[in-house]
Amino acid sequence: MEKQQAEHGPVLDYAEPRVDELLKHSIRTQLESLLKAKLTTGQRQQVLQKSFTDAMTLVLSDTKIEHSTLLKAFEAMYDQAVQSMALAQLSEELLTKQYVSASGLIMSPHNCKHTIKDVYRIQGYARGLDRAIHSKLKHNDSVTILYPACGPFAPLLLPLLSYYKESKKFTNKQVKVILVDVHPGAILALTQLVEDLQLSEYILRIEEADATEYKPSESIDILVLEAMQHGFTKEGQLSIAKHLVQFLTIDGLMIPQNVSVRGMMVVGETEFNQQWKQAQYSHSLNVNNEAQQDRVELGEILSINKSTLLNMQELELQDGVKVIPASKIKLPSGVKDMGKRILAIYAHIDTFADEGVEQYDSGVTHPRPDMTFYIDAKPKDIEHTHFVAHSGDMVQFYYQLSGLPGFVPVKL
Amino acid sequence: MQKFAVFTGSCQSLPVVQYLLQTNQLACVVLVDGQPNPDLMQLQQWLKQQNITTLPYSKNGDDALLSQLDRLAVNCGVVYLFRHKIRKPLMQYFNGELMNIHPSPLPEYRGPQPLYWQLRNGETLTKLTMHQVTQELDCGDIACDVEIDIHPFDTIQCLYQKTSQALLHLISQYCELKQNNQLALCKQTTEYTKLAPALQPSDLVVNWSTCNTSDIVNMAKAGNLDRFCAQLIFRQSTFQLLQASKVECVLKGITPGTIIELGLKSGLIVKTHDGAVKLDILGATQGCFDGYRFALLFGLEPGLVFDNDVAVNSR
Repeated sequence: MEKQQAEHGPVLDYAEPRVDELLKHSIRTQLESLLKAKLTTGQRQQVLQKSFTDAMTLVLSDTKIEHSTLLKAFEAMYDQAVQSMALAQLSEELLTKQYVSASGLIMSPHNCKHTIKDVYRIQGYARGLDRAIHSKLKHNDSVTILYPACGPFAPLLLPLLSYYKESKKFTNKQVKVILVDVHPGAILALTQLVEDLQLSEYILRIEEADATEYKPSESIDILVLEAMQHGFTKEGQLSIAKHLVQFLTIDGLMIPQNVSVRGMMVVGETEFNQQWKQAQYSHSLNVNNEAQQDRVELGEILSINKSTLLNMQELELQDGVKVIPASKIKLPSGVKDMGKRILAIYAHIDTFADEGVEQYDSGVTHPRPDMTFYIDAKPKDIEHTHFVAHSGDMVQFYYQLSGLPGFVPVKL
Repeated sequence: MQKFAVFTGSCQSLPVVQYLLQTNQLACVVLVDGQPNPDLMQLQQWLKQQNITTLPYSKNGDDALLSQLDRLAVNCGVVYLFRHKIRKPLMQYFNGELMNIHPSPLPEYRGPQPLYWQLRNGETLTKLTMHQVTQELDCGDIACDVEIDIHPFDTIQCLYQKTSQALLHLISQYCELKQNNQLALCKQTTEYTKLAPALQPSDLVVNWSTCNTSDIVNMAKAGNLDRFCAQLIFRQSTFQLLQASKVECVLKGITPGTIIELGLKSGLIVKTHDGAVKLDILGATQGCFDGYRFALLFGLEPGLVFDNDVAVNSR
């Protein structure tokens, strides 16, 4: 629609998207502002590019930025990005299609679009990536980045590329990016966004492919691993990383450099409710000391980095399900209220250097309660399939590589 | 000369009444004792319009009914969709000439819900069986029967309709055999494998840990638009499952009951033990929806898991 209007000259060159009813319903505010503003395509693209650059300028700044300022900048980026998505004219089928594949959950563009508002995840990755690119370019003329399962907005890279272009920090000769996603709707939206951001010069390819099978033709200097949800569950993060790590150059970097998945036994009310009663927002800086001290840490369950990925051994169970052995943990003894506690699994993400995403900073590092793990307690259901153990027991954790990956504890 | 009394409480028995009326063999209709429902009221109205004598059945005793039957010179009886158990005095009055119509290939599916359980078990053929009323329910000697095909898409309502249509064939066959003195009662075999018991609330809930794909598809058919509608539980809320279809699925390591796909074309697909099932049509207090629309309205997404019962959280 927009392109057709462009052919008739700038007078009619307003964004009047033919938007699917569902998308229209969920992004009504953004559409209203788009239509009210009566911007030409060029003007709209400028506003979009500015919102991306502004957000990155704040994120990469070394001075402390107020939470509300960051939030406002990311909201603006989100608003502009969904306007671009609306102009991609995704059909309802493409917009909402979501499914479990053999290696993980493939989210719909409709549900993925909020990732670009995940302030501290993007901050941790953008700062880490910026430093990683910088360090690579000290010794190389260019850096090739692969971003698998990037979704409709590729939120960990496109804002950064906008910033590079605007600030002229790195040129398209220095930074080359391959964007991969299996969802055709995400590819359509992504293509529109790259065009709107005028970043095509930085993009080597946008590929519609399953990241767990994708074989890039060039060596990869930086692999960006995003596809994950809290508790390191559901999405195919590990299968993707395990497959693509082989395409990294010898000194290639995986961003994040390390993901440490840990377990703890918590009193649900203290950890997830009381701890946040006084806090303005959920963030690692706002955790409550008392609640933190009340935790019973189980330790690291799994560590994911370039080295562990290359050495990871898969086991195939009788029913064909593949698992990866994770840590063996001795359950702590002498905790009086252990029977009332629940297992919570959380991740700490080190993106690069000292940049990262800590617990509660993002949806992906938010501790995930597991209501099926019982220590010193019995499930009330008669026919249960829950894990039951006692203080002092040794537990071997496995990571199941199925359509909905996650941890499976086994009592030794 | 045969004079029939038809014992019923539903319009679904009208083909029997009409046939006997047209062949001048109908003496009266004995109506159930209990609170009137729309079906019974419609039946009463129709009988009144046709000037058919109706007699009330009483839970308290058969004396009054027996004297009225005697007055009308009734010597044969047919029982269909009559909710009361026939007592001994009434059986003695008819002296073996009281027949019950049971919609199953007896001795299989004896009990109050034969059609429901036949659909639920995926049967492809049933019978409408005319048998003698005896003390033990659904156990009397068989006079005749009519076969009924069950189509893979038939719901309980389809079967009600098919059995209603087959009634005419059955009653006419029975009357002709009787008039020609060709009626030979056959004893029911003692071997049977399936019963049709009354339904308990737990029978209607889809339990993903025990039900396979066919069970779920059949549960939906057996309860479609009926008071025995299959129920799904999600986050402690109950929804009706009106239609489901089998879907191939090769995914491994996924808990049965997990939503594995949602799309405008593919619909709402849930993992089962032996494959997957597409939830075609669901009902809620807000209305009936296809699986896709239902999922978007009620926030169901791939990755989420249906519950097996209402008391989902045991902690």
